[in-house]
Amino acid sequence: MSPPAILREYPSVLMAWRNLGRNRVRTALAALGIVIGVVAIASLGMAGAALQSQATQNLGGLADEVTVTAGEDNPAGLTETHVRKIRQVSTDATVVPVKANQTRLTANGEAVRAGVLGVTQASALYDAGAGEVPERLESGAVVSSNLASELRLEVGDPVKYGGQLYRVRGVIESSGGFGGGSNTLVLPLSALADQRTYDRVTLITDGGDAARALAAAVDDRLNEREQVVSATTSADALDQINSFLNTLNLALLGIGSISLVVASVAILNVMLMSTIERRGEIGVLRAVGIRRGEVLRMLLTEAGFLGLVGGLAGAVVSLGVGLVIFQTLAGDPMGALAWSSSQYLVYGVLFALAASLLSGLYPAWKAANERPVEALRG
Amino acid sequence: MAQMSVVELADVVKRYDSGGETVEALKGVSIHVDRGEMVTVIGPSGSGKSTMMNIIGLLDTPTEGTVRIEGEDVTDYTSDQLTEKRRSSIGFVFQAFHLLPMLTAVENVELPSMWDTTVERHDRAIDLLERVGLGDRLEHTPDQLSGGQRQRVAIARALINEPDLLIADEPTGNLDQDTGGKILDELTRLKEVENIAIVSVTHDEQLEAYADRVVRLVDGVIQ
Repeated sequence: MSPPAILREYPSVLMAWRNLGRNRVRTALAALGIVIGVVAIASLGMAGAALQSQATQNLGGLADEVTVTAGEDNPAGLTETHVRKIRQVSTDATVVPVKANQTRLTANGEAVRAGVLGVTQASALYDAGAGEVPERLESGAVVSSNLASELRLEVGDPVKYGGQLYRVRGVIESSGGFGGGSNTLVLPLSALADQRTYDRVTLITDGGDAARALAAAVDDRLNEREQVVSATTSADALDQINSFLNTLNLALLGIGSISLVVASVAILNVMLMSTIERRGEIGVLRAVGIRRGEVLRMLLTEAGFLGLVGGLAGAVVSLGVGLVIFQTLAGDPMGALAWSSSQYLVYGVLFALAASLLSGLYPAWKAANERPVEALRG
Repeated sequence: MAQMSVVELADVVKRYDSGGETVEALKGVSIHVDRGEMVTVIGPSGSGKSTMMNIIGLLDTPTEGTVRIEGEDVTDYTSDQLTEKRRSSIGFVFQAFHLLPMLTAVENVELPSMWDTTVERHDRAIDLLERVGLGDRLEHTPDQLSGGQRQRVAIARALINEPDLLIADEPTGNLDQDTGGKILDELTRLKEVENIAIVSVTHDEQLEAYADRVVRLVDGVIQ
């Protein structure tokens, strides 16, 4: 087969290609080592990314929230005055005062204990899975998906609380995260009018940093001498979870890179063997005037080829593995294509290339620097 | 001024360390080869022929003495400088042909200048192969060629960089008499038409007959 003219412009590539083609089994096995290494690195990296994405999905909402409850010096609870003061501080956040109670609910012949929340801005806290979660809940009720299934409630069904009937307007979307599994009945604030104080105020901000700042601001404004309120946020806890997941990810990548190290040793071995076998040939090259640098480039190109081909094949396999991992962990295979996860494919290929070149360096250097007269002796 | 020799060795001594013992392979050898001249070196094995050829071909350096190529003293050249000199001035025809098995005939011929992307080596390689009668074997790999054809590819390869000096180690050694004769005709043509200096090592009496000069080396000394 005549090589394309373009290949003649790159003699190192032409020679490397021909040399790798001489012992296809050996070449394939060396590349397979790299494939396995890349798959190990990339799929472990992607598994870490999937864990992180799932954690963010489930907990992300919590980080934006500040929960204000009555402080230890304030046994009476949060009054309208407190809420007003909180509103004054929370200029950029949605302020949701909440009253809470426990009750026993019956419907369709089933009875369960449920938490009752009095909330006006229902849509700020919940997303609708069925029906609607109104922006301002003035009448009717919203139920958690758990409660809906236990009492076999559907949109339009009545629920009785405090001697009054409320029609179910919506079912809260199950987040799969914390709290999604509890029995919760969300009613207008008026339903809990006999409770004069609020149990908590939820502040919804733009993100973790804003939440932290707002919690501090609320603390500053309301707790002048006494601990009137306690403002907490999950942002710190979430940061810790994220930092733990990052560490876990690094550990996974570390384990994965061991296999790539093993693969590079295999390449080192293959390159050493093939240069020793070709000692005489390399001697001929040097004798007819091929420079040391040219021999070096030719052999490094061979190693680079192994790394590149193995790396690319590994990336394709890893992408498949990644799709499966994301389908299993996060329920969305397409998440594997996002940069946060697909970056590990790129790293895998780059790593493979670097490892191969590194392992090719010593054999190539050794072969290129041998005296031609010694090499020719075979 | 007399015509300058293509290659000249003056009082060359080569010593090896072999197992704590110093072996003197060449004991003060002086030889010169001029343009258009074919010199054949003969001698029993162990006489230092190969050592001398390696020094003439700039593959090895002498322990003492001087090596000149076209009057230029190359004795103290670095390995890289010697490589450049080999590339520009010397063509090699090895005993065992030493063609690269994964390359086609034309690629084997191109090999010495393969990394020189500036020269039009491809056309020249085809030209050389046609000249040695292998115009129809351009894309054949060495294992698809006969011994004589391989030797002709090796000669074409030695000529790709237009050398002044051709070094041939047993150029007819692996060939039958008839094929060997054709190779010798080609070598004769090269020295007469191309004015190339040729140094060959041989046991072959046929080759001696073609030589302008026969140098006999015994025990590291020219007789």
